Amino acid sequence: YQRRVRGSISKTMTEKKPITLYTSPTPNGWKVSIALEELGIPYNVHGIKLQTNEQKQDWFLKINPNGRIPAIVDHSNGDFAVFESAAILVYLAENFPGGEKLLPKDLKQKTQVLEWSFFQMAGVGPMQGQANHFLHMAPEKIEYGIKRYTDETKRLYSVLDKALEGKEYLANNQYSIADILNFSWVLIHDFAQVSLDGFPNLKKWGERIAKRPAVVKGLVVPEKNPRINFFNDDGSVKF
Amino acid sequence: YQRRVRGSFSKINSMLKRIILAPRSLSFNSPQTHKPYKPFTRNGLYKQYQTSPDKKPITLYTAPTPNGWKVPITLEELEIPYNVHHIHIQKNEQKEPWFLKINPNGKIPAIVDHSNGDFSVFESAAILFYLTEKFPGGEKLLPKDLKERTRVLEWSFFQMSSLGPMQGQAGHFNRAAPEKIEYAIKRYRDETYRVYSVLDLALEGKEYLANDRYSVADILNFTWVLVHEFGGVSLDEFKNLKRWGERIAKRPAVVKGIGVPEKRANLFNEDGSLKFN
Repeated sequence: YQRRVRGSISKTMTEKKPITLYTSPTPNGWKVSIALEELGIPYNVHGIKLQTNEQKQDWFLKINPNGRIPAIVDHSNGDFAVFESAAILVYLAENFPGGEKLLPKDLKQKTQVLEWSFFQMAGVGPMQGQANHFLHMAPEKIEYGIKRYTDETKRLYSVLDKALEGKEYLANNQYSIADILNFSWVLIHDFAQVSLDGFPNLKKWGERIAKRPAVVKGLVVPEKNPRINFFNDDGSVKF
Repeated sequence: YQRRVRGSFSKINSMLKRIILAPRSLSFNSPQTHKPYKPFTRNGLYKQYQTSPDKKPITLYTAPTPNGWKVPITLEELEIPYNVHHIHIQKNEQKEPWFLKINPNGKIPAIVDHSNGDFSVFESAAILFYLTEKFPGGEKLLPKDLKERTRVLEWSFFQMSSLGPMQGQAGHFNRAAPEKIEYAIKRYRDETYRVYSVLDLALEGKEYLANDRYSVADILNFTWVLVHEFGGVSLDEFKNLKRWGERIAKRPAVVKGIGVPEKRANLFNEDGSLKFN
């Protein structure tokens, strides 16, 4: 009979995993757990409770001065902390073996991955995020705000859809961090009240990615989102 | 006065250099080391290889906005010759089919690199990373060391995801929205203010954002902080940010870049220097 003892044993166990991931069940959080699973990198999970503003506490601001999730600490690299989801994905792809399958080394190919990565970080994330805010979180119903951001989300989706015409993935027709970054947001399009009916390429692309084992695993980290359900009864991902 | 020539000219140059200036190393099979280009002025041959407009490696599609300015500043910092194509946003020129071939998102800036098979790049930060990795001298704006480069990436993505979009919304609801919506004005002004406070704290006791060294991260954030008034935020409380901006505003490459494709009068003093306050 062996008992798990917190303290010394779990400490050594956590120290053996190179990455600690600070995250919550949101699109930006899922990006990193998916990437870690894709690269087979062992990681500890520290769930951050956004409802209690845990991400604004002083100890966490030392890791991410912007006070947001996700963030990682790389224990195999002198406890190096990284914030900004896309910066984390680029860091993991460049620092861990097998990373080139998610971020090519060739300059032209890498640049195309970065184009679509910045497109997600500067466009899809912020705009769909504002749509979510005006739909679900603003204390008053402001039609102008709802329309502005759902329209822009639809426009961004149309750009993605067109780019996927005759292609399986966004950059170099090869799965990359650009797909992971965009997928996590397009996955919850219903929450922003944007339908994928007009975007057949985007739908096909998302369905394909939703089947990847690493994606299915990454989407339940740190736990299932209580408000947004995209799982079927058999545990597969509904896209 | 020295001008930098990129692309096929540097190949011709180095070949001729070896033939004319160093006849002893006349071996076309000798290994090429990638040294930064030095114009050979010793016997005046340099002047014959000055670039003409269509030989410049980069064509820049841009407008006088924060996202636009980032690219000419970088091109000037790295001394890369470029053509300027002014895209008129008021006429929605950026949504025309010919431009959507260059940037499917229909936004400025975008570049085409003629020295690399007319390779086009969109998204301002992606352009900056491409230029620093492709052209000589780029490491002074983007370090090669992984940890240092990651720091630059953090603040670059921070600008692209937080500063640009949020200050952009603040500008929209302050000036461009047809109706005055107090909730939205306050929301985006507060968030812009919060973002500025994060930058200001990061600059405590430092001169630059990443590795305490000037990089693309500073260029990306500077062009937005320059027009803080559009976000309805004053810099009075942010002493570090102010100091940082004033220092960057003095760089010749920055003064030149903010004037591309044309100067916005309210950003410049009478003596031609950049106004940062």
